[in-house]
Formats: sequence, structure tokens, C-alpha cells
Amino acid sequence: MNLPVYLDYAATTPVDPRVAAVMAGALTADGVFGNPGSSSHDFGLRAQEWVERARAQVAAAVGAAADDVVWTSGATEANNLAIFGVAAHRQSDGRHIVTARTEHKAVLDPCRELERRGWSVTYLVPDRSGVVDPAQVEDALRPDTVLVSLMHVNNEIGVIQDIAAIGAVCTRHGGVRLHVDAAQSVGKCALDFAASGTDLMSLSAHKAYGPKGVGALLVSQRRRVHLEALQFGGGQERKLRSGTVPTHQVAGMGAAFALATEDRDAVAAEWRRIAALQERLWRGLEAVGGIFRNGAPAHSVPHLLNLSFAGVEGESLLAAVSPFLAVSTGSACASATDEASYVLRSLGRDERLAESSLRFSLGRPTSEVDIDRAIEIVDHAVRRLRAIGGEA
Amino acid sequence: MTYSELTRRYFDRADGSGVLAGARAVRGEAGSRAQGTWVQFDLAWRQAGAPGAVPAPPEIETARFLAFACPHTIAVASWVVERSVGRAVSRSLVEPVQAIARRFDVPVAKLGRLLIVEDAWARAAAALIAAAGTGPGDSRCET
Repeated sequence: MNLPVYLDYAATTPVDPRVAAVMAGALTADGVFGNPGSSSHDFGLRAQEWVERARAQVAAAVGAAADDVVWTSGATEANNLAIFGVAAHRQSDGRHIVTARTEHKAVLDPCRELERRGWSVTYLVPDRSGVVDPAQVEDALRPDTVLVSLMHVNNEIGVIQDIAAIGAVCTRHGGVRLHVDAAQSVGKCALDFAASGTDLMSLSAHKAYGPKGVGALLVSQRRRVHLEALQFGGGQERKLRSGTVPTHQVAGMGAAFALATEDRDAVAAEWRRIAALQERLWRGLEAVGGIFRNGAPAHSVPHLLNLSFAGVEGESLLAAVSPFLAVSTGSACASATDEASYVLRSLGRDERLAESSLRFSLGRPTSEVDIDRAIEIVDHAVRRLRAIGGEA
Repeated sequence: MTYSELTRRYFDRADGSGVLAGARAVRGEAGSRAQGTWVQFDLAWRQAGAPGAVPAPPEIETARFLAFACPHTIAVASWVVERSVGRAVSRSLVEPVQAIARRFDVPVAKLGRLLIVEDAWARAAAALIAAAGTGPGDSRCET
């Protein structure tokens, strides 16, 4: 059986076999299976060593200090901990948050929940390419603003925000904390937590060839960031995230992040390879005609390409390609909320073009053969559906 | 979204898509691309019954459809076209919308799209009946 071509690496990646091997070493009786919180025996102490090694690996990959790393179950939990944690700690200083309409739901939904609790939230509208101007952030700040939450790499269109410039704005307005959702960033573009002036940063393992179910929130110790915990019962992770640390999961995340960043020459070569494949995909699909590129190529990660196809209905487009090609869509049929991509609509795309968008995200296993096959599949589907719709 | 085997088959093949031209061809459409669903039927007819016999309702000789629509709607439009050829023309679909919805496992939220199929069919059939009743030269487009 021929599997569909997988071009949905922004949704998730397969675990790198080297990462899986590390994880396997922390599961069974002949491995490091101890509870890392059990410091009274060697089993626990060895697990603790593994956890701390992973913490150092994650920190090194993103320019953070090891003490900044708080393990979570993933980026969604990290986003919730950052937003609700800062809100709880700072509510006597102010009850205003700044974010953007194009953020992930894992940021927007906590913000909406805070609104229900009486907080005020400003939702910035990026320009048509998806970029948030730092001046927009500055204009939105108020005396009662306590948090700005903006993503680094947009998960739908791949646009990279200038978090260092936004961090400088927040730093100038002392007391405003900057949280950055960087779930899509590691291994895809340069990321330096300490240099960016960021106070809190959410990370995910499974977007970078690590396991699902583990992530981290970076909480800057140098910038003396404080927040309240959301769960209790054991006091692990500096009392910010109670619960037994899953050694195999965090070891996997550490190994994955090390592989994604340690060998800088190899990483740079991989980015060039992926960029060339993305260009090949764009050139091939551009020839179909009636195609609109979402986002700004000059400000985007190389592995992600989001296109809208005029003259085809979104659900039918996905149905036509999905037996042969695994991609994401802006169509409402794939949305839990039954609405076309709110990100593309925020950028000014009309409902039909937002519906008929496909997100192609490339990864380490992607080859030229995959790209050429994807072009062939999409070209055929678009031409066929346009003919059925009377637009041939 | 997952689709039944029947929906998948009719969507993938989309047999009967296209347009008809000629004196005995009529057209009906409904919905709009801007709203996300648009369907058009073209029907060509022939007069049933032997010459000199009591006039019978015209029969559908050929049918075609176009659709800017979801897979369920395209599949149903293709099926309707397939089932209609050789039948006496009727403003009603070959089955009630609810029965077609069950046949194709169409989600309840999408029943409105099948009503667009039904409207397009009814308009094409009305155009055919009008054209057959007044002579082939009077065929017209119903929208």
C-alpha cells in the first residue's frame, strides 16, 4: 500500500529514531526508570541526572539557562501556565493583556477565558502578510498592561515575528512581561531566548522530531519573572508544575532539541535544502494558476508554504488530495469550530479563499520526489474541480 | 471529514459533469459560489410515445451538472444525473432529499446544500417542461 505523501510536519513530526532510542533507555527495568523526585536511592538519582541533562539540552538549544526550563505536557499547557500564571501573579498591577488575532487557540482561548473573568484583552491585527509591527504593540500598551503574548513562528503561514524588537518595546515599558509561543520554531529558525528580551517562552517537543506529550515553559530567572502555579501536589519544577517528571519524555525532548540545533553546519545545510524544496513546490504549483500565497516569504520559515486556490471549494479540494497527500487545510470541514481559518481571514483573505487554502509543511524526510508528486496531485485536483465547477 | 464509500465513489468519478448545448437543452441553477455552494443542471429531452399517440411527458435524454460545492453535493449531483436519464421529467428529484441524505450519509448540517441541488433540479425541470410544451425553439435558462 502506498502511503500518502506526508507534508504536514508543522502539525507533528515522527520521532527521530535516535530520540526514540534515548527514550527507550528510561522505560524498562534495565534502564533509567526511577522517579527523578526520589533522591534517596540511585534509581531516582540517575533519573534526576537524565532530567537535568535534558533540561540543559533544551536550554542550550534556545539560548536559555537550564534553570529557566519548566517541564510541561506540551506547548498548550505552557501557554496556559504563562498566561494564567502571570495573570494570577500580576492582577493587582493591572488586568490588561495584548495579543494578536492570528495567535494559536492555545493562547487565544486562555485570553478569552480571562476576558470572561473581567480582564481586558487587545487583539492586534497583523498586516496582510501576517507581521505584527512592534509599533502596534507599543501603541496597544496601557498603564495596566501586564502581559504581551505573541507567537514567534505562525503555525498556519510560517511568518516569523521580530520578537527581539517586541521584547525591546516591553522592556522599555518596565513591568510588561512578554510571553512568546515558540512551538513551531526549534530547528526551523534561529531562536535566542535570553537575547530576545523575552520573559516566558513556550516550547513543544513533537514539532521537532521529539515525542508528543512533553514541552516546556521557559521562565527567565535573569529577568526575575514570577508567576503562580496552576496545579498542585508535589511541588516539582520549582513548585510551578507539580507532578512526576516523565524521564523518558523529557529525555526525548532534550535529545530532539540537541539534534535540531547542535551541529550548526548541518542545521544550516538542512535549512537550505528545505528552502530549495519549498521553492520547487511553489514554482510547480504557481503554474496551475489562480493561486495566492498566504504570508510573506521574506519573513517566513522555509519549511512552510500556505496557498489559497481560487475557483475550488475548500472541502472538495482537501477530499480530492487527501487520499494521496497529507496536508492541512483552512477549510471549515477540518475545523472544530466550523469556521474557515481565522488566521487567513484576519489577514484579509475572503471566506472562499480562506476555505480553499492548503498548508504544506516540509520536514527532514521530504525529498524532491515527494515535492514533485505533491505538485502532480494538487495540479490534477485543482484542474478537475475547476472543470466540475465550470471554471476550466 | 470522512465520507461513505458511495459518496467517495461518486465524488471521485463525478460522472456526468459538464454542460449541454442545442435546441433541446435547458438549464437550471441554484446557490452561489460566494456562499460556498452552487449547482447547475443541464437537461436535454425527447418526446416519449409513438407518433400520433396520446402525448406523454417528455423524457430526459441526457443530463449534465456543474458544481462548486462540497464532496457530498458533487456526489449527489452526479448520482441525480445518472438516475434521471431515460425517466419522464419531474420537478422532484428521483428520491426525496431526506432519503438521498441517508443514502450518501450526508451530515445533518449539510442538508441545506442538498436543498440547493433540489432547487437547481426543479428549475431545470421547469425549464424543460416549458420548453417541451411550447416547442424546442423556446428552451430557456432558469435561474
